[in-house]
Amino acid sequence: MNDDIIAEDDGHSGIKKLPLAAAVVALIGLVDAVYLTVKHFRNEVVPCSLLEGCEKVLTSAYAEIGGVPIAAFGAFAYFLAFSLAVLAAYGNRLTWTLFRIQVTLMAAYTLWLLYLQAFVIGAFCQFCLISAATTLILFIFALFARGK
Amino acid sequence: MAKETKSKSGTPIALIAIVLLVVLIGGIWFYGSSSTTNTPAANQANQTKPSAVNIPPGASLGVNMIGAPDAAVTVEEFADYQCGACASAHPAMKELQGAYAGNKNFRFIFRHYPLGISGHDKSYEASVATEAAGLQGKFWQMQDKLFTNQQAWTSNQNYRQMWVEYAGSVGMDVEKFKTDIAGIQTKERVDQDMQRGRAMAISSTPTVLINGNPVPFNQLNITTLRQLVDAEIQKATAAKAASDTAAQPASNANSNSATNSNTASNAK
Repeated sequence: MNDDIIAEDDGHSGIKKLPLAAAVVALIGLVDAVYLTVKHFRNEVVPCSLLEGCEKVLTSAYAEIGGVPIAAFGAFAYFLAFSLAVLAAYGNRLTWTLFRIQVTLMAAYTLWLLYLQAFVIGAFCQFCLISAATTLILFIFALFARGK
Repeated sequence: MAKETKSKSGTPIALIAIVLLVVLIGGIWFYGSSSTTNTPAANQANQTKPSAVNIPPGASLGVNMIGAPDAAVTVEEFADYQCGACASAHPAMKELQGAYAGNKNFRFIFRHYPLGISGHDKSYEASVATEAAGLQGKFWQMQDKLFTNQQAWTSNQNYRQMWVEYAGSVGMDVEKFKTDIAGIQTKERVDQDMQRGRAMAISSTPTVLINGNPVPFNQLNITTLRQLVDAEIQKATAAKAASDTAAQPASNANSNSATNSNTASNAK
């Protein structure tokens, strides 16, 4: 017996609330990552803002892995997380377990990226921070559903 | 019952497929669109303009202005010398200044707007350096040096020495330059520009306004800028012509009545 608490059904449709909420958050991360990916491929500089130093972060050596922008990997990861969460919302327990594993890995990578921004690059990128926030929220969801 | 289960298991797959489709189409559309509205600068451009009331004028116009003081079209740029986007927009700004050189309808004003965020630790000082250069009539030359060599000095601990070298290379008295950087006058001008920018709720750099209307970041290329400036010049010329035409009949009427009264007095 699986002792995970995904969330209670809403009583009518049988959709689990917590995975559904996680899917919505993953969708926000997906939009953010797609935006950054497109900006990267269009060779556009994100204007500097009072809150951050986007251009410095997004043009740093850490913004790419093997020529592929990490935002593109992020977009794929968020899409995967979204898909797993949606399937879990409709009662698939295996996908929720996979979601939790994936989100834990994403959170660890996010912490590494935050470290890079704070201590190596010395600037924060607001779109990267949005991504970090969504990943950490997803991670909290995963923790929340860890079990009794 | 079995039918219901089947339709339920199909729903998440359909949802995932829809999201995938939307993301792919949206991404391709965004990539191909020439006028994106999702950039922060565009969002900023969509904001309503703050009221002109209570907005400080900024540093007095002089070295920071190119063109006629009473020009019909004013291009005002707020920039930060450590902002990569500002450096990438700089060639277009320079080209714009050159394209309208000598045009009595055009003027360009530069405003300092050092953001004071991490990674922009030398921005304020760089603004002060250009003001110090301005005291020797080399404001624009120094600005050009700072933007074109941004990568070099921004990551160099001896950036001050590099600026002194830039100053020397454009024919400035470097000792006076050093003294002026340390002076109050140059800093006051930077502060005045910053106060103006803050009052105008400028939140990112570069922010370029044409007669007060913000230009989205992705339109900061020479072709679009020229189109926008030309349109403003045309508008101003048409408005002037209209006001001249409106004044014309009135003066004609006045001269006619004068003629009539002369005729009347002659008849007496």
